[in-house]
Amino acid sequence: MSASGTSAVVEVEGASFGYGGARVLEDVSFSVRPGEAVALIGPNGAGKSTLLAGILGLAEHEARAFRVPTGRGEIGALPQASEIDPAFPVTLEQVVAMGRTPRLGLRWPGAHDRRAVTEALETVGLAALRRKRFGDLSGGQRQRGLLARALASEPRLLLLDEPFNGLDQASRDALLETIAALKARGVALLITTHDLDLARAVCDRTLLVNGRQIAFDDTACVLTLEQVEAAFASHVFELDGHTLATTEHHAAEHAERHRRLLADDAAGEHDAR
Amino acid sequence: MTGLTGLVDPITPFAVPFLGRPLLLLVALAIAAGTVGVLVHLRRLEFSTDGLTHAVFPGLAIGAALGGTAGLLPGAIGAALAAAVVLALLARRGQPRDTAVAIVLTTFFSFGVVLVSASGRAAGSIADFFFGRLLTITWADVGTSVALIATAVALVALTGRMQLFAAFDPSGARRAGLPVLALEVVGTIAIALVVVAASASVGTLLALAVVIVPAAAARALTRSLRAAIGTAIAFGAVTGWAGLWIVVQLAHVGVDAAPGATVALTMIAGYLAALAIGGLRGRPAAAARGSAR
Repeated sequence: MSASGTSAVVEVEGASFGYGGARVLEDVSFSVRPGEAVALIGPNGAGKSTLLAGILGLAEHEARAFRVPTGRGEIGALPQASEIDPAFPVTLEQVVAMGRTPRLGLRWPGAHDRRAVTEALETVGLAALRRKRFGDLSGGQRQRGLLARALASEPRLLLLDEPFNGLDQASRDALLETIAALKARGVALLITTHDLDLARAVCDRTLLVNGRQIAFDDTACVLTLEQVEAAFASHVFELDGHTLATTEHHAAEHAERHRRLLADDAAGEHDAR
Repeated sequence: MTGLTGLVDPITPFAVPFLGRPLLLLVALAIAAGTVGVLVHLRRLEFSTDGLTHAVFPGLAIGAALGGTAGLLPGAIGAALAAAVVLALLARRGQPRDTAVAIVLTTFFSFGVVLVSASGRAAGSIADFFFGRLLTITWADVGTSVALIATAVALVALTGRMQLFAAFDPSGARRAGLPVLALEVVGTIAIALVVVAASASVGTLLALAVVIVPAAAARALTRSLRAAIGTAIAFGAVTGWAGLWIVVQLAHVGVDAAPGATVALTMIAGYLAALAIGGLRGRPAAAARGSAR
C-alpha cells in the first residue's frame, strides 16, 4: 500500500465515517491509484454508502490522513438509485451536459466542454441516442446515461454504488467494457458491489468492510472464504459454489430491487412507442 | 362602422400610450414566463408562487395607504421579504412545504383584506389590487417593473444550466458538488422579483397567471426544453396582446371589462387550447403516464 506513495488519488488512513456524530464505519485505511479499480464489499448496513458519501463530503469523517480530490468536478458519482421524473423535458445529451456544470460554474460551455460531453456519450456507447428524451430510455440506458453524466466532468475519481444491480446481460457487459476503458485512461474507481465475480473481473484491489475494515489487499487475497465469512457473519452468501450460513434477507432485497428496475424498463419501452 | 375597423385592425389601437405601455409590460412579462416561469414549472413551485402572490397583497395595501401608487412597489418588496422569512422559519420547524405555503398564504391574505377594509377605502380598491391598473400604468411604473423583470431573467439565465441540473436531480447535483441551496435561493429571489414587479403593476391575479400559465401551456405543446422556453415566451406575448385587444373591442361595444382579469382569462383560454392540441397529438397522455410512475 505504501508503495502507491503520493501518486494515489485517494489516500485514507485510520478513518471513521458517520452522520451527526454517530459512527457507521470505523478504522478504515485504503488507497486508490490512478487507473485502478477498488471494490468496496460488505453486507447491507456495513457502511459502504457512508464511506462514498464521506469521500464526497456529504458525510462526516475523522482520520489520521484523508486525501481525496477536492477540485470542482474531480469526483464523479453514480448513485444506487435516482429519483428522476421520466416526464422531465430533457434529452440524454442535456442530462450528460449537466455533469459538465460543476466545471463550468457560470461560464458558457466552449468547444472543449462539448467534446467532453460527446466523449462521455461515446464511452458508455449511447452516442446514437443523444437526442432522445431521457425519460424514454430503458432503465439500463438511463443508468449508462447517468454514468456518462458523471464522466462529462472528466473526473479523476469515479464512485460507482452498486452499478451492476438490475442490469441485463448486455448492459452489464457494456459497463464492464466502460470500466476497463476508464482504467486505461487513468481514472481511479471505487465500486461497491455484491457480486464477487464482478469484483474479481474488474477490481485490482478490494476493501472488505462491516462496520470496520476487515481487509484491504489484492482482490484475490481478500476474497477468501474466511474473510468473506468474517464480513458477512450473518448473511446469505455464495462464494465459489459454497453457500455460507446466514440469517439476513439480503438476497430477498436484491431480488426486489431487480424486479423494480425490470418493471421500470418495461414501462420505459412502453413510453418510447 | 368604427367598431368594425377597430375589429379588423390589430395594430393601430396599440399606438395610443395607454395601450402601448401595458403591451410593452406584457411582452416583458412573457420573457419572464419563458425563463422564470419555466423554472417554476420544472421545480414544481406553482403553489409556492401562488402563496407568494397572495403574501404580497398586504404589502400592496400598506404601501398604498402610506404612499399611494408610489408606495405599491416598496410595500410589495417588504411583504415578499417577510413572507420568505416566515416560509423559511416554518420549513425549519419541519412543516411540509405545502402546509407552510398554505399557512403563509391565508395569514398574509387575510391580513391584507383586513387592512384594506379597516382603512375605510372604497370597496373597489381591493379589486384594484387583484386586477391591477393595467391601463392606467405610468411610464415610471413600466420602467421599474421592466428593470425588476430583467434582473430576474438575468439571474435565471446566468444560473440556468445549474438550475436545470438541480431541478432534474437535486441529490445528483449535490453529489456533483453544485451549491444546491444557493441555487434555490437565487431561483426564489428571481420568482419573487417577477411576482413583485407584476403584482404592483398588473395586479395579483395576472401576476400569478403570467408566471404559471404560459409555461404550463408550453409544456403541453412541446417535449424539448428549448421549444418550451420559446413557446412560453410566444404564448405569453400573443395571449397578452390578444387579451388587450379583446379589452379594446369590448370597450368599443360599451362593455367595461377589467383589463387584468380579461388578459388572465385569455391566457387560460389559450392554455385550454394548448391542452386540446397536445391531447390530439397524444402527448399529455404520455406525460401523465410518465409522472404517475
